[in-house]
Amino acid sequence: MTHRVPLARRYLFGERRRALLSTAGVAVALLLVLILDGIFAGAMRQVTAYVRSSPAAVIVSQRGVRTMHMSNSALPADLAAQARAVEGVGWVAPIGFVSGVVGAQTGGRQLSYVIGYTPGQPGGPHHLVSGSAPVDGEAVIDQIAAVQLGLHIGDQVRVLGVWLQVSGLAEGGTSIVNTTTFVTAAELDRIHGPTISYLLVGAQPGTSATALRDTLTAALPDATVQTRAQFANQEAAVVADMSADVMRIMAIIGFAIALAVVCLTLFTATLARRRDYGIIKALGAGGGRLAGIVIAQAAWTITVALATSVALAFVVGRVVEAVAPTITIAIEPASVLRVAIGAAVIGAASALAPLRRVVAVDPASAFRRTS
Amino acid sequence: MTTTATTAVAAAALGTRGLSKTFGHGDLAVTAVRAVDLTVAPGEVVLVDGPSGSGKTTLLLMLGALLEPTAGSVIVDGDDIWALPERRRPSLRARHFGFVFQDFNLLGALSAAENVTLAANLAGTTGRAARELAAAALERVGLGHRTDFRPDQLSGGEKQRVAVARALVNNPAVILADEPTANLDAANGRQVARLLRALADDDHRAVIIVTHDNRLHDIADRILWLEDGALRQLDTLATDPVCHMAVTPADRPHIELDGTVWWFCSAGCRDEFAAAPARFTSPQKCVP
Ligand SMILES: Nc1ncnc2c1ncn2[C@@H]1O[C@H](COP(=O)(O)OP(=O)(O)OP(=O)(O)O)[C@@H](O)[C@H]1O
Ligand SMILES: [Mg+2]
Repeated sequence: MTHRVPLARRYLFGERRRALLSTAGVAVALLLVLILDGIFAGAMRQVTAYVRSSPAAVIVSQRGVRTMHMSNSALPADLAAQARAVEGVGWVAPIGFVSGVVGAQTGGRQLSYVIGYTPGQPGGPHHLVSGSAPVDGEAVIDQIAAVQLGLHIGDQVRVLGVWLQVSGLAEGGTSIVNTTTFVTAAELDRIHGPTISYLLVGAQPGTSATALRDTLTAALPDATVQTRAQFANQEAAVVADMSADVMRIMAIIGFAIALAVVCLTLFTATLARRRDYGIIKALGAGGGRLAGIVIAQAAWTITVALATSVALAFVVGRVVEAVAPTITIAIEPASVLRVAIGAAVIGAASALAPLRRVVAVDPASAFRRTS
Repeated sequence: MTTTATTAVAAAALGTRGLSKTFGHGDLAVTAVRAVDLTVAPGEVVLVDGPSGSGKTTLLLMLGALLEPTAGSVIVDGDDIWALPERRRPSLRARHFGFVFQDFNLLGALSAAENVTLAANLAGTTGRAARELAAAALERVGLGHRTDFRPDQLSGGEKQRVAVARALVNNPAVILADEPTANLDAANGRQVARLLRALADDDHRAVIIVTHDNRLHDIADRILWLEDGALRQLDTLATDPVCHMAVTPADRPHIELDGTVWWFCSAGCRDEFAAAPARFTSPQKCVP
């Protein structure tokens, strides 16, 4: 049995207020990083939701166009027929894609992607929460947009300037930036003019997505062909490019605050206990044992703060999603791991200066009078 | 003048040869301890007295492997502890020495039992074995009922007894105490003094106490007088009958009365005594 007096824990938790303040400070700083990461990951999920939930193996777009977001793609009317003739192709579903505005009679308006598809074929809403797929003269809107615009099934919704009737509600199509509205391909043609923006292509059994992409690329030299995964990554990259610098700066600030808090509290706590360390040294502690006491304090602070921040992140995520349904906060394992590694580095860094102090403490100081 | 104790070196718990310490260099050099030769036997209580700044603490630190001497050696178990590699000294301190300090020096974040257990941990005993040693040591100093108290919940006397328990928990051959009773009232001082005496009598430990406290003279086998860093004549220490300070007879004021020599710390005390000797009752004798 090798249990020793848990000096580090006694030091840390013997001073409740200091321990509470420092772990809370670190936890809040880590929480900031986790939430930012979560907002980022949530935005990624929202942006790629339509593509990720599509049954398509590959997606064909106008040459040079690689995404739906921030893009405009137009394909020749006969391209779908050409694609159908290519070996390995199971099915082809053309969709129209237009950025615009949807509005309610009450005056509420929202930016929206409008997708025209052929009901019964791929390309429509992934999941209808209620109602039915649209026929001509109807639209399926996202349930969050419906709440925000005060619309219900059967109400009139203005899509790209034309009044349609809400036939159903979909989910997962609303982000911070905009929402998604589905109409029939014929309706989109009527409103916007003939529009084929993308081809969703399914593979025949036994044909892989990459193989299909390669044959289609060869067969359709004037179009860009990507697998669904590639397309989703490109979509994500659009968001990442827009926000990566901001995210990085915020994360660095968060980590810096955490570092400052641990450094300050651990350093002052160590200085305040200088005499104790002298006594422990006089009683026969070697450098390793003293270092262990300091490192354990840093480790405890970081561990408790990390656990607190992860728990809080989930709570904050829920609360934010309840208050602002367009924001998705996705706390992903990779993000927790990143923050944990960051926290570990912070803990190690914060222990350095106190370690130097502690190792340099003169054990003879235990014999100097304090009074 | 330096005095060498006559105890056989082979049987000694601790010995020094030419132990010296000089702080600083050149014009600023202060020699705190000069060429001290000392041998302390197991079971012996040695008191080191001397004026403030005479080098008592410095001597104790060198004996306890806490301060490196400028010259000389400290012999423990046949080894010169200052010739050992630095990394071996911490465990030597933990196992071979027990320290008792003037201001107790308990760790405020730990209970009495944990303070003592920590010392056992530092000597390599862990877990239940360490806790049992600590409990036994606290029982020994009469604090079996205070094990879970933190230092700020203990009286000064109790704190110093915890410190004594901590000093003896690793069964050290040598106990080093610096002014162990200075912060205690008379009753608690006597209790701690008796405890230190018992550590020598019952356990055969060598106990070296640095002190100004005359109350401790009673428990000493030998009293050493350190002045200007050097040990002086040991066995002729007297107590000033007026202020009860320990004085070295050689160079102090004195009066001969009815065949007895009375020594004083100062001319003031001598004059007060001379005015009415009857007030200072018991006849003065030299401390053996
Ligand atoms: N670290 C140091 N650096 C320089 N000088 C020191 C140091 N420690 C002690 N001294 C000097 O050495 C001399 C002896 O000091 P020491 O503390 O051993 O005296 P002491 O007999 O214990 O005194 P007191 O009875 O007041 O405790 C003093 O002159 C002191 O100023
Ligand atoms: Mg001293």
